[in-house]
Amino acid sequence: MRADNVHATVAVVDDEPMVTTALRAFLELELPYRVLCFESPRLALEALIRDPVQVVIADFMMPELDGIEFLRRVRECCPFTTRILLTGYADKANAIRAINEVGLYYFLEKPWSNEQLQLIVRNGVERSELFTQLDARVSALESANRDLAQLRRRLIEAFL
Amino acid sequence: MSGVADVSRPDPDELEALRAENARLRAAQAELVNATRMSSMGLLVAGIAHELNTPLGALRSNRDVLSRALARLQEILADEVVDASELADVRRIVAAVNGVVAVDEDALARITAIVASLGGYAEGGRSDVELLDVRAALDSALSLLEHERGPDVAITRDYGAVPLVECLGGQLHQVFLNLLRNAFQAVGQRGTITVRAHAPAEEVVVTVEDTGPGIPPQYLERIFQGGFTTKGARVGMGLGLLISSQIVERHRGRIGVRSEVGRGSAFLVHLPLGAVRPGHPGRPAQTETTPAPPASPSDTSAGGPR
Repeated sequence: MRADNVHATVAVVDDEPMVTTALRAFLELELPYRVLCFESPRLALEALIRDPVQVVIADFMMPELDGIEFLRRVRECCPFTTRILLTGYADKANAIRAINEVGLYYFLEKPWSNEQLQLIVRNGVERSELFTQLDARVSALESANRDLAQLRRRLIEAFL
Repeated sequence: MSGVADVSRPDPDELEALRAENARLRAAQAELVNATRMSSMGLLVAGIAHELNTPLGALRSNRDVLSRALARLQEILADEVVDASELADVRRIVAAVNGVVAVDEDALARITAIVASLGGYAEGGRSDVELLDVRAALDSALSLLEHERGPDVAITRDYGAVPLVECLGGQLHQVFLNLLRNAFQAVGQRGTITVRAHAPAEEVVVTVEDTGPGIPPQYLERIFQGGFTTKGARVGMGLGLLISSQIVERHRGRIGVRSEVGRGSAFLVHLPLGAVRPGHPGRPAQTETTPAPPASPSDTSAGGPR
């Protein structure tokens, strides 16, 4: 039905199973991505280090690790993962902290709109994939550049 | 208060002026107390809004999922035929709906519990005398303050057999809310808050202990006076403990505090049993009640070990 990238994965991290289940139901119904749910940010982090995802949606208020700290660690281990903060406690100081410290992609407030969420997640996956592609192209260019430089050196050596 | 220096022999005019000034100050204090009640009500409302946002977010999303699922199923059934590829879709949709329905039940139960815990506060403005189980009142205050709990803050309950207390329930709720909020603010990100309720002899003693930074001895006398706060401008007006001690005195009880810098603080609310006849609300504490000072820095009368 939809030709989007079915290999993309979205991780949802919230200590409230109520929220993870609701998000999973919606995302699986409307988007062709795999959805992983975690109630513990620590377990989520372990899983993401092993196997990076394209988008992570994290709650702000979690008992063992707050959402901003969690996303800061995600940024360290998986720089190409798009980071979304979901919060029922939208104070300005936290919003600014989130944007500045973790390079947040979107600050989403509870109760959220599914329409908006769908758009954000879809764009977030695309963004992550573009970053990954860009990184691969840059590596390829660098490697080609190294080969060329070597070739040039050998040519010069051969003619001198 | 300019003419106060020479009080060796106050003339009647001056006395009258002082009386008027005193009345004016009392009125101003009453106004401030009322303002703080309103601002503490504002905090409470913000807390409730936050607590409701989680189940509300889930319900709102789920309602949307259900209508999308229904539309999808109707689309599949439009031609009266379900082929193999459509069957996989139907299974997926049914699975999503199943999850959603279970969550809706939890979300509704959560909202019901939040509203139930508000019972005592909704009656805060009324002056009905009721029989209150202080343990239930403490639990309800704790659940309302859940959003103010730091990530590594543990709560320990130590409840004994406690008789019902005849009181103005809504007002005692407010006392517990004030003391617990102070404790949450004292511990910040990590620590332990211990809530005790016991009935040692002819009284009910409620203790709220925290492992926060403690209160320096020189401040202990002043914390029950209005306008004293070390929390900074944004946190409060420094009237929570004044209001609390006034309410408790109105119930012929008293509030004590023990505190050690670096170890934490404990606030003890002593409520006498038996013929508790709370004074009329809105009037200042009755002067004929036991002359116990509101703040007794070395309270040793009750409560568990520190």
